[in-house]
Amino acid sequence: MSESIVHRFLNYIEIVGSSTVKLVEGAGYYFALLIESLAWIIVGPFYKQPVRVPSIFSQMMTIGIAACPIVFILSFSIGVMLAIQMIYNLKTFGAESQVVVGVALSITREFAPLITGILIAGRTGSALAAKLGTMQVNQEIDALRVMGINPVRYLVSPALLAMLIMVPILTFFADIAGLLGGALYTGVEIGLSFSAYVDRTIAALTAGDIMQGLFKSLIFALIITLVGASNGFSVTGGAEGVGKATTRSVVLSISFIVIADMIFTYFLNR
Amino acid sequence: MKINIQQDDNYTTIGLDGAVDLSSSSDARKNIIEVLKENKNILIDLSLVSYIDSSGVASLVEGYQIAKKQSLKFGLFGVSDAAMSVLKLARLDQVFPIYNSKDEYEKEDV
Amino acid sequence: MQENKKNIAIEVNDLVTHYGPRKILDGINLTVSEGEIMIIMGGSGSGKSTLLRYLLGLGVPTMGSIKLLGKDITKLNANEMFELRKNMGVAFQGGALLSSMTIGENVKLPLREHAELDEKTMDIMARMKLEVVNLGGFEELMPSELSGGMIKRAAVARAIVMDPKLMFFDEPSAGLDPVVSAELDDLILRLRDAMNMTIVVVTHELDSAFKIADRITVLDRGHILMSDTVEEIKNSDNERIQSLLNRRPSNEAINADEYLSRLTGM
Repeated sequence: MSESIVHRFLNYIEIVGSSTVKLVEGAGYYFALLIESLAWIIVGPFYKQPVRVPSIFSQMMTIGIAACPIVFILSFSIGVMLAIQMIYNLKTFGAESQVVVGVALSITREFAPLITGILIAGRTGSALAAKLGTMQVNQEIDALRVMGINPVRYLVSPALLAMLIMVPILTFFADIAGLLGGALYTGVEIGLSFSAYVDRTIAALTAGDIMQGLFKSLIFALIITLVGASNGFSVTGGAEGVGKATTRSVVLSISFIVIADMIFTYFLNR
Repeated sequence: MKINIQQDDNYTTIGLDGAVDLSSSSDARKNIIEVLKENKNILIDLSLVSYIDSSGVASLVEGYQIAKKQSLKFGLFGVSDAAMSVLKLARLDQVFPIYNSKDEYEKEDV
Repeated sequence: MQENKKNIAIEVNDLVTHYGPRKILDGINLTVSEGEIMIIMGGSGSGKSTLLRYLLGLGVPTMGSIKLLGKDITKLNANEMFELRKNMGVAFQGGALLSSMTIGENVKLPLREHAELDEKTMDIMARMKLEVVNLGGFEELMPSELSGGMIKRAAVARAIVMDPKLMFFDEPSAGLDPVVSAELDDLILRLRDAMNMTIVVVTHELDSAFKIADRITVLDRGHILMSDTVEEIKNSDNERIQSLLNRRPSNEAINADEYLSRLTGM
């Protein structure tokens, strides 16, 4: 009897152990991928294997410009939603006019980077995983390697650079869209004029508030690229595998983004 | 690869010497195009070529096309068997005017 | 052809490889001379595709050495490998063209990454190679607009654009109709004759193998059964080679104890 308990306990330990190993392995892989893509960006040109600028720009177009409308709509909606909630809450204290400060801080410090990150994870992260996964299945990755073209340099480095540039820009765009949403609703609901709203927002915000959001968006850009790329590279088993990897990369990216958000918010506000 | 350029009465001979490959073919190309820019007939001497790859052949193709457009005479001379088989692979042996000797080139009109 | 003392282009010594804990290749010894066409044959699961992956430097073997053009690829650093790869061309089974680029861009890709040539020169080179594989005028199309046979030929054009010394084909005739596959066989022979390439072809198509091979290596369950000329292979009295040649399923005597233990897992 006691033997079976010991056995079960050992089994349990083994499961914990092997999943820990997997987690560490996974984290190690992300880290290695990060170092490798950064290394190509920096030292690639010296080995006559530079990261191609046109491919960075084409990635920036698809990540950035194409995502603008949806980022605007979502962030605008969040701005409106925040204004509704805050006016409702602040009414209790008769402090409706404080809604401006609340919306400004919530949008710039939290919601704009978060919604942009989640959107890009669903849009670009999944696309990256699907693209690399399909290439892996079609032996295109192998073909690149045998041609002496390092797949990380050719596929991941440009994506990483483009993301590091575009996600903060989109986040800033989301800041403005969200604040605009808040301003419009507040104007209608409590009759605050647009220019007064803008003045008060500028007075309420410090550069640090915006920087905090942008800094977090950089971290999100890293997470999305690395999770998408590593899931794409590790695809096995044909079209079904590509589908699985795409789903996994979105779920993982969003989870990591939310957790990283919590951790960074905690440390940035100490 | 070395390049020897020799002026005759009404044509210029470009002698390629050594391996015409990825690293040296752009040099050969530049010289060929330069001579053609001066509106001169051209004979490419390949007799000292130890190896020619597709980039070298591509440079010859480009040169021949430019010469044709300007109604200049273009010819290859001293094509080795190895070079010939590279040309044959892309059926270019049927395209280039190939001469066995300088005399043959000199006698023929455009 | 292999008898007249030629330089050795590929030399594999005591190669052992694993996939996870499973041993895939065991004690592989193989040499291919310069300008030789070597066919690697075997049933599915024989390890022939695995052997190709290792020859291409896409895996790290457990043991043994793989020398390509005199260099042991198991010991090369990244830079040396990068240089060596300029002399290697590979035509993958499905073509493996990058689907985001036109055929012409695909063919030019190795040039763009490895050589500093004028754009015009690269264009002409790419078109020349497409002519070699009878795809002249197709450079503006996307891979998705081509048939399977055309994609395979375009992949050959990309593989030979750098005039490699070593050329590898993975199942060139798989999924092609007999006429197209015969054309590919002719192309392989022409490439060898024109450029003295050393060519390794992995295939299970007997007709094509017999037609183009200088020598054939027969793999079975991770071991080399035989590595010899077409004639010798045909005349071999090895039962497994004969069953492969005659397309017979293997009917070996069953070891009752072993079989039972395999079935019951005890």
